[in-house]
Amino acid sequence: MSDRKLPRLLQTPAVVLLLIWMLIPLGMTLYFSFIRYVLNSLRRPEWTSPSLSNWRGFGNYQFVLNNKDFLFAIQNSLVIVCSILFLTVILGVLIAVLINKSFPGQGIVRVLLISPFFVMPAVNAVLWINMILDPVLGLQGLAVGGINGVITSLQNAPGVGWFFSLWPQLEPISFRATQTSAYAVIIMVTWQWTPFAVLIFMTSLQSEDQQQKEAAVLDGASTWSQFRFLTLPHLSRPIAIVVMIQAIFHLSLYAEIEIVSRGNGNKNLPYLIGEFANNNIGAASATGIFAVILANIVAIFLLRMIGKTLME
Amino acid sequence: MAIVAETSRFSKVSRPVLAWIVGLLFFFPIFWMILTSFKTDADAVKPEFLLFFTPTLDNYLNMTENYDYWRFATNSVITSVFATLFTLFVGIPCAYAMAFNPSRATKDVLMWMLSTKMLPAAAVLYPMTFLTKSLGIFDTHFLIVLVLSLINLPIVVWMLFTYFKEIPKDIIEAGKMDGVNTWGEVKEILIPLAWGGIASTALLCFIFCWNEAYWTVRLTTTEAATLSKLIEGNRAPEGLFFGRLSAVSAAAVGPIIVLGWFCQKQLVQGLTFGAVK
Repeated sequence: MSDRKLPRLLQTPAVVLLLIWMLIPLGMTLYFSFIRYVLNSLRRPEWTSPSLSNWRGFGNYQFVLNNKDFLFAIQNSLVIVCSILFLTVILGVLIAVLINKSFPGQGIVRVLLISPFFVMPAVNAVLWINMILDPVLGLQGLAVGGINGVITSLQNAPGVGWFFSLWPQLEPISFRATQTSAYAVIIMVTWQWTPFAVLIFMTSLQSEDQQQKEAAVLDGASTWSQFRFLTLPHLSRPIAIVVMIQAIFHLSLYAEIEIVSRGNGNKNLPYLIGEFANNNIGAASATGIFAVILANIVAIFLLRMIGKTLME
Repeated sequence: MAIVAETSRFSKVSRPVLAWIVGLLFFFPIFWMILTSFKTDADAVKPEFLLFFTPTLDNYLNMTENYDYWRFATNSVITSVFATLFTLFVGIPCAYAMAFNPSRATKDVLMWMLSTKMLPAAAVLYPMTFLTKSLGIFDTHFLIVLVLSLINLPIVVWMLFTYFKEIPKDIIEAGKMDGVNTWGEVKEILIPLAWGGIASTALLCFIFCWNEAYWTVRLTTTEAATLSKLIEGNRAPEGLFFGRLSAVSAAAVGPIIVLGWFCQKQLVQGLTFGAVK
């Protein structure tokens, strides 16, 4: 076999499998997005099975664009993804720098820190929304009650009591509410994925050029400027990797959103598709095509950012 | 090194203290879940920070008796193991060819592979359900293994590719001179050299398989249902069964967390895609 043929042959299974995996469902979705296809329709039973005679052209797309939740779902998708990325990168860098130097119990701290990454998304959501963020039964209620108790007792303290009597009593927040449910999702996913960022940054920090650092110290560089001009540039590549991987995973968040609020005030595109798919397969498919377009726009940005560095 | 070794008080006292606080904070939700799993349902919803209580195993016994935990767990193990093996089986040759015989298309193929990960699962769920049901493979181990393999294949190829690229080409060349054939190259030279990378790739793939919920929940009913499905069915609403809920959750994530602890070093290597140096 020639030198060229064999490599191609070795790649074939993976490429073919992925091609099938992408093309067949995507083709079907595309087809469904152009026909009327409703699972329950007593009035028009012919719409309940896919058929070319139900051709609707761009009708499903129009229907989706006019849906009041559509723009919101796109916005919310982006808000959630960007917030999580922002928080995990910042926290990840800070924690990685913090635990990079050896200290007593470093190994144990590292083990504790990475544990959230192994938790199933569904367990993560159930745990946080019920046992931690719940305003009555969760730890949030306890924490707020505790803080209020402290404030109340300080109000009776001699001397400073007047100061604390100006403080309001805190109210527990319901994270299932329309305005706050996105925050709950952001909190729980940040908790889960910060360890991932920490791991990557930590590995990268261990390979930082120590001689350069020594030179900087000799030159009298402050800790901050060492961080700013040596560590941060060194981390730029791992940061790009963290951003890329996480964007891929978080654009398709679903379990967390469903468990927290059942989409109440907190839909993202996958969730909106899921809602449509309960009955209107045509609309769900059209939304799916929009989601594919959005993912590709994000992908182009990400790949521009990272493509070169990875191929070096 | 002596110069860099900080002697400031921050380094000596505050850093460890702060690090420990952060570590404990991050672990706390898991700790709380495990703690709650040993409480009775009545204790679990008491409006106080109950650290000391009479522990009970009832939740776990209840779980194994009423929910058939072991069947779900077995399914999780079977599907994750086979999916990981299959992904490696397909991914290793592919990554090998890309790393050692790159063509002009290699970069594009890699990018395209990753882009298949961006296809929102929800968008193609209905067609997939339709298709698998009509093929008669809905709710089978075969289907779940296949799906898990396919969703993880892009990441696995990427990781392996970056590892293989690190291996000096000369070694492979030397092997060729000695008359080793391609299969021999892979078996005798590549796999031993890249063993660490392959192991950490496998580990990460296994974790993603184990935790995958979207497809496994929706493409199964009973036969091939994994632990994700058990959680999905038991996320008892409105907090009345915290004890039970915690036990089910702890039993679902316990094995993978422990595995993660043991394989921490491997994982650190694996997660970096070889690109962090």
